[in-house]
Amino acid sequence: MAASQFPDSGEHASDSSGCHVEVTVADSSQATPPRQTHPASDTLDSVRKGDERPSRLSRSFAKVLRKNQDYIRITIPVTRLDRLPPEWWKTGLVFMWAGFNLFCTTVMITVVNDRVPNKSENPPLPDKFFDYIPRQEWAFKVTEVNGMILVTAWFFQWLFLKHRSIVGRRFFFLMGTLYLYRMVTMYITTLPVPSMHMNCAPKLDGDSIGMVHRVLQLLSGGGLTITGSHMMCGDFLYSGHTVMLTLTFLFIREYSPRSLWWYHLICWLLSAVGVVFILVAHEHYSVDVVVAYFITSRLFWWYHTMANNQSLRDSPHNYLNRVWWSYFFRFMERNVRSTVPCTFSWPVQPPTACFKMPCGRYSIVQSIREE
Amino acid sequence: MLSEVGLWSVEEVSEWLVDQGMTEYSEALRNVDGRALLQLSESDFRSPPLSRVTGDNGHQLLERVETLRIANHMEVHKNGKHGSSHHTNGHVSITIGNGAISNGKIRNVEPKNGFHSEPVQIHIPLPPEHERTSFPTEWSKTGVAFLYAVCCFVTTSVVISVVHERVPTKEESPPLPDKFFDVFDRVQWAFSICEINGMLLVSMWLIQWLLLKHRAIVGRRFFFIVGTLYLYRCVTMYVTTLPVPGMHFKCSPKLVGNYEAQLWRILKMISGGGLSITGSHSMCGDYLYSGHTVMLTLTYLFIKEYSPRRFWWYHCFCLGLSAVGIFFILLAHDHYTVDVVVAYFITTRLFWWYHTMANQQILKQKSQGNTFSRVWWFFLFQYFEQNVQGIVPRNYQLPLPLPFLWRVLPGSRVVYSRLDSH
Repeated sequence: MAASQFPDSGEHASDSSGCHVEVTVADSSQATPPRQTHPASDTLDSVRKGDERPSRLSRSFAKVLRKNQDYIRITIPVTRLDRLPPEWWKTGLVFMWAGFNLFCTTVMITVVNDRVPNKSENPPLPDKFFDYIPRQEWAFKVTEVNGMILVTAWFFQWLFLKHRSIVGRRFFFLMGTLYLYRMVTMYITTLPVPSMHMNCAPKLDGDSIGMVHRVLQLLSGGGLTITGSHMMCGDFLYSGHTVMLTLTFLFIREYSPRSLWWYHLICWLLSAVGVVFILVAHEHYSVDVVVAYFITSRLFWWYHTMANNQSLRDSPHNYLNRVWWSYFFRFMERNVRSTVPCTFSWPVQPPTACFKMPCGRYSIVQSIREE
Repeated sequence: MLSEVGLWSVEEVSEWLVDQGMTEYSEALRNVDGRALLQLSESDFRSPPLSRVTGDNGHQLLERVETLRIANHMEVHKNGKHGSSHHTNGHVSITIGNGAISNGKIRNVEPKNGFHSEPVQIHIPLPPEHERTSFPTEWSKTGVAFLYAVCCFVTTSVVISVVHERVPTKEESPPLPDKFFDVFDRVQWAFSICEINGMLLVSMWLIQWLLLKHRAIVGRRFFFIVGTLYLYRCVTMYVTTLPVPGMHFKCSPKLVGNYEAQLWRILKMISGGGLSITGSHSMCGDYLYSGHTVMLTLTYLFIKEYSPRRFWWYHCFCLGLSAVGIFFILLAHDHYTVDVVVAYFITTRLFWWYHTMANQQILKQKSQGNTFSRVWWFFLFQYFEQNVQGIVPRNYQLPLPLPFLWRVLPGSRVVYSRLDSH
């Protein structure tokens, strides 16, 4: 490299012509004009001594000065690299992925409903939780209300995030993948109803119009029993309600300031109570809830570790890349070069606004003029 | 000026003084050559010519001369000459400009800081093992991991025995609808093949493990992961009991309340390794999730991880054994499909999770960006892996030194495989 090759400085001590010493550092490989001449050399020009001893003196001067010289201009191209580009089109794609998976799950529930064995044929399976806690009817409403509160809270929090595009992408991807896994486990083995109180919609043997009707009904109600849209059985392993409760809580906690511990506590309580009340209402087996919690938390942590650690992405010993969705991950997170900081801004920017929200360790003052 | 100081001329000494910024002595030491310079001492600075120009009794200059002396000593030794400049007692004459000669006694020119010519033994205490190597053996930790695995196995056996009492009878609860069972009919001998495959894989892994150089570390990992997987299995088996997957199942009768007989059952199961082929596993109820799938998948992952990359035929063979074994579990209608899928998922995720954490220093600490540290077993992981620095290389070594082999195969004592990179 040119910069490392500093040729020896030339010293011209012309003894004969009355001794003025000049020290130049000329880097011949660089085309820039000789601004690299030592500034002190100018002062040496004016040193005029009459005899040999002063020339030795000035030689030593020059040597000392040479040792300390580092006046080299190095030009670094200044790049305005955006480390967290929004890329809304990617978010749009992932949203469609999540939407597609939700739709397929709905279709799958409709299909599985026809395979659920009768309550009389296959009674509910023995479950440890059900042995201890008898059924409470109102519990499932509490779960669903909790779920709706959490989803709303998360939605508003997301709206106020600065990097909502990136975070939204992550949320949709995880939700879509979790529902995809759920489709697989629901379909391959059908568990019987957990409790005798459940009334399943009658089977439609091949009635496709009826199926379409049911799918639309389920979609419009968001899959909730409280809206009356979910009359079908068979979607037990694993529990979609647990997935939503856990996932929204994890996202809320991850993308909000550390200092709002009371907010995290409330959300955690909502989530935990919601999950427990699913079991209290005997709407799912315990194993459904346990597996759902496990898969949701692992997937969330896996994804975020991969996203937050740049060194992992390039490392050849990164086993995280062996998951099947690593290709999608790279597509989504390719241009995200750092951890998404927890900063907030107005979703729609008013003309003069300065929103300040201290985020614990990352206190970043947002001003419109910066953006 | 890298030539020997002892050979310096008067001009060179003068130059050196200027170089060091000690021009005040240039005049006084005008006629001093290299040898004389080395023999300067403090007393010289107390008498007139030098005492007039020095401000600090010559301390600075003497220090620099000391440095020169050491450098000179090293140079001389390097050149193999044991010059007499070290052990001379002599006088140095310093001729000063006005002609006065002062004789100063020169002491024995030995460096002040005990720089000897004969070798000196320095005792360095041996640092503890984990500072000496990147991959300390630490068999104690492997022992702990082994105990953990044994505890988990025993717990699993106990839980299977408990769950067996709760399995609904075939008449009460017929087998659940399963997509695979709809497509494929039952093949009777398939489960034996699966268990034979499992035993083959386990023995191959055992032999491979014995040949590894870092078997303590790898063994620790295997025991820990196996133990944790069986622990999870206990939980899922216990909370919800699935009915038997096929009408062909013959579950041993329930022993309600008869704890002694239950204990015998548990012991029998442990001794037979939980395999049906040994006749030890006649209990039902341990369906979610499948332990056979766990062992087949895990041994394959470990075999592949800790063997050379170029043994692709070996990897293919093990993959074949593993895949066929898993397929035959389902073909024999011995587990539901969801049991196998969940088991595969949990095993692979746990294995990759653990190894990613172990291979990256950055993930071994709890931090905000390290969401992996939020698993419940992180403290165990830190205990096992904190002294392992870096990725465990695939080196092989015979477990016991066989001296006669040295003569037969000279290079076979420690076999280093090529460290294959991606």
